[in-house]
Amino acid sequence: MRRPEGTVFVVDDEPAVLRAIERLLRAEGMNVVAFASPREFLERHDPEAPGCLVLDLSMPELDGLDLQRTLAERGQARPAVFLSGQGDIPASVRAMKQGAVDFLTKPVNDTELLNAVRHALARDLAARAKDAELAELRRRLALLTPRELEVLGQVVAGRLNKQIAAELGTVEKTIKVHRAHIMRKLQVRSLAELVRLADRAGMAASP
Amino acid sequence: MIHAGHCRAFRPDFFMAHTHPISWITVIWSMAASACLMLAGVYLVIWLKQKNRPACLLFSLLALTMAVFSGFEYCLMRADSPREFGELLYWIHVPVSVATLSVIGFVHLQFGTGRAWLAYAACGLRGLAASLNFLSTPNLNYAEITVLRHIPLPGGETAAVAEGIRGPWVAIAELSLLLTIAYLADALLSLWRRGGAGNRRSAALLGGSILFFAVTAAGSTLLIHAGVIRTPYLVSLPFLPVLLAMGYELGSDVLRAAQLARRLEVSEAELQESQERIRLAADAADLSLWLWDIAKDEVWTMEQGRALYGIPKNQRIDFARFMDTLHEEDRAPVRQAISKALQGGGDYEGEYRVLLPDGKTRWVAARGRVEFDGRGQPVRMRGVSINITRRKLAEREIQKQRSELAHLSRVTMLGELSGSLAHELNQPLAAVLANAQAARRFLEHEPIDIGELKEILGDIVEEDKRAGEIIHRLRLLFRKGELQYEPADVNTLVADVLKLVRSDLVNQGVEVETALAPTLPQVSCDRVQLLQVLLNLVVNACDAMAGLEQPERQIRIETAVAAGGGVRLSVADRGRGIPAEDLERIFEPFMTTKSQGLGLGLSVCRTIVTAHGGTIQAANNPGGGACFSLILPPLPERADAPA
Repeated sequence: MRRPEGTVFVVDDEPAVLRAIERLLRAEGMNVVAFASPREFLERHDPEAPGCLVLDLSMPELDGLDLQRTLAERGQARPAVFLSGQGDIPASVRAMKQGAVDFLTKPVNDTELLNAVRHALARDLAARAKDAELAELRRRLALLTPRELEVLGQVVAGRLNKQIAAELGTVEKTIKVHRAHIMRKLQVRSLAELVRLADRAGMAASP
Repeated sequence: MIHAGHCRAFRPDFFMAHTHPISWITVIWSMAASACLMLAGVYLVIWLKQKNRPACLLFSLLALTMAVFSGFEYCLMRADSPREFGELLYWIHVPVSVATLSVIGFVHLQFGTGRAWLAYAACGLRGLAASLNFLSTPNLNYAEITVLRHIPLPGGETAAVAEGIRGPWVAIAELSLLLTIAYLADALLSLWRRGGAGNRRSAALLGGSILFFAVTAAGSTLLIHAGVIRTPYLVSLPFLPVLLAMGYELGSDVLRAAQLARRLEVSEAELQESQERIRLAADAADLSLWLWDIAKDEVWTMEQGRALYGIPKNQRIDFARFMDTLHEEDRAPVRQAISKALQGGGDYEGEYRVLLPDGKTRWVAARGRVEFDGRGQPVRMRGVSINITRRKLAEREIQKQRSELAHLSRVTMLGELSGSLAHELNQPLAAVLANAQAARRFLEHEPIDIGELKEILGDIVEEDKRAGEIIHRLRLLFRKGELQYEPADVNTLVADVLKLVRSDLVNQGVEVETALAPTLPQVSCDRVQLLQVLLNLVVNACDAMAGLEQPERQIRIETAVAAGGGVRLSVADRGRGIPAEDLERIFEPFMTTKSQGLGLGLSVCRTIVTAHGGTIQAANNPGGGACFSLILPPLPERADAPA
């Protein structure tokens, strides 16, 4: 059995249900941490730890939706699976809009729950991987001088060296040196690679 | 039979009155004799009718003796020879002795006064004198009668008077006479001293006349014996005043009896009239009067009373027979209520079922009061009974309708709460399912974690029980049944209601604060109906706060001991409150502030609480929001529920 990476954070105010869900996930070999209230969870939340949420929709004080929103406001959003006592359509729509992975009705089918949780964990991992990659790119881009960034922008926009030199009021040879520096700093070997990287980093091609 | 022979001599004289001018002596003595005889006869009849008055018999005897005496006197006056005179005197001691005994006896029995030794001495001496007389010749009075003189009397009449030698023992007879007089005087004086109008009148009239008779008779006799005067013996004539006095007494008695009889007649008529009136009133009100003589254990009741209890006309009714007519379940409470009344409470009140001979059941209400004697012992109990079957049936019908309305309202409310209730049931089901699925997965692990599985099974059992309890509570609320009053703790009811609506409260973001008294007296209630009331109040409170910001949505439930020893419960919200003019109207049916709902909830609540003997009221909190408080009475002292 493949042990899924990441932790499942379960929040339910009903102790018996909380214990049962925790057991079910643990039986499947998952890392589970259970919380009896949203407040307790928020106090002990480590945003760096990978993992997903399993939330009871209706809880006193702060309900599942409130908790999800609070995390999003803090920039600590996690994929969440919602559990609800009854099929409350408006609430499920809101939950899905806020990025819920799934919305399940109690008593919940074990396969459905496990699938949804695996899905959520995977999504968290993917999001974290993407975040890590983006961070690397940003680190590399940060090595460039402002002049080099200017040149990069022109290159990505598909201009020729001659055109760039004219635009920036310099000679073609200087531009070539800049391009070489950029390729080295960004660790790319071809123009195509450079363009893909700039795209992933979210740099819009400036005209 | 010297006496009888004498009478033969007396009678021809009396009948000769047809041919000769009537002798005044004959007239007076025969009149005196017949008057005495008549009085004797009257008192004999009185005694025969009233055997408890032996004085009447003695007086009758005295009068009879006097009649005999007047005969003797008459014969003495008419005696022809000393021998005849002596024989008459010999026999006269019989009536003298009888007269002495009866006059003393009569005074003793009639007045009960006078010194006893005087009476005994007088009687004793009289007896001695009579005995000596029978041993003497010719008699006690004379040792020898020498000559018989005929002294002239007015009207040309003569009377025989004896002369001779005085007997040696005659003083004993005289002493007896004096003692008799002394006894009579003493008795009358004591009676006079005792005072009182009745005593003095008797002393003056009856006693005075008897004393006069005794003194006169005795005095004349003594004087004759002493030879001071020469007259015939005069005893029966002085008796005439006694005759008159007794006649007067008798007349007064007859008069009084007549008056009493007339008064009795009037009051009997009045009694009948008032009995008739009571019967009419009882008839009109359908009341049956009854009277239970406790000592004889006998119950009297009117005809309609017998009909009411289905008891045949001539059957004797005692307490056991009465108890037999009651429905078995009602016997113990009735017995208890009656014994409480007998033990000093005095008042009795009961409502019970009577089983009629035809198998039908009749409801009867009875009220009674025990009457006690001077020592506080119950003597009798009287009261009324009334047929209340129609009222009871109507009450039952009303109760049934109320119960149906309450059920309708309850089901409606439960319908509104169904989402919340389903959620409440869902929680344990969800836990059971997830636990079972987890267990199945743990069983595939190597090695199997027995501890974990034990915990899981424990949780499954617990959660299944919880689900069962919820279903039980719901079934209770959905049930449509007879009211069942039983002692209950209000705090427990509050907890039950909060369990039922928990998820509804959570969903609506309502917080509940409870301030429950640690110890509360129990109340007699139908659990389901009281749960319904509380549920209604809590749901209403939630609805009243739907428009508020979430932290403001708070309900406060308080329980406390009420002033009268009962329980006070209040449910307060923080909503907008109730307009002052609507505080009473909200308990009217079909009065609602909600867009959905029949407006029956609070009116049903009031009906339920009132049926429990309690009150429910609405008020506005000083800090805003409405507060509903209900007060329930404590359990009655006796362990029986309201009938």
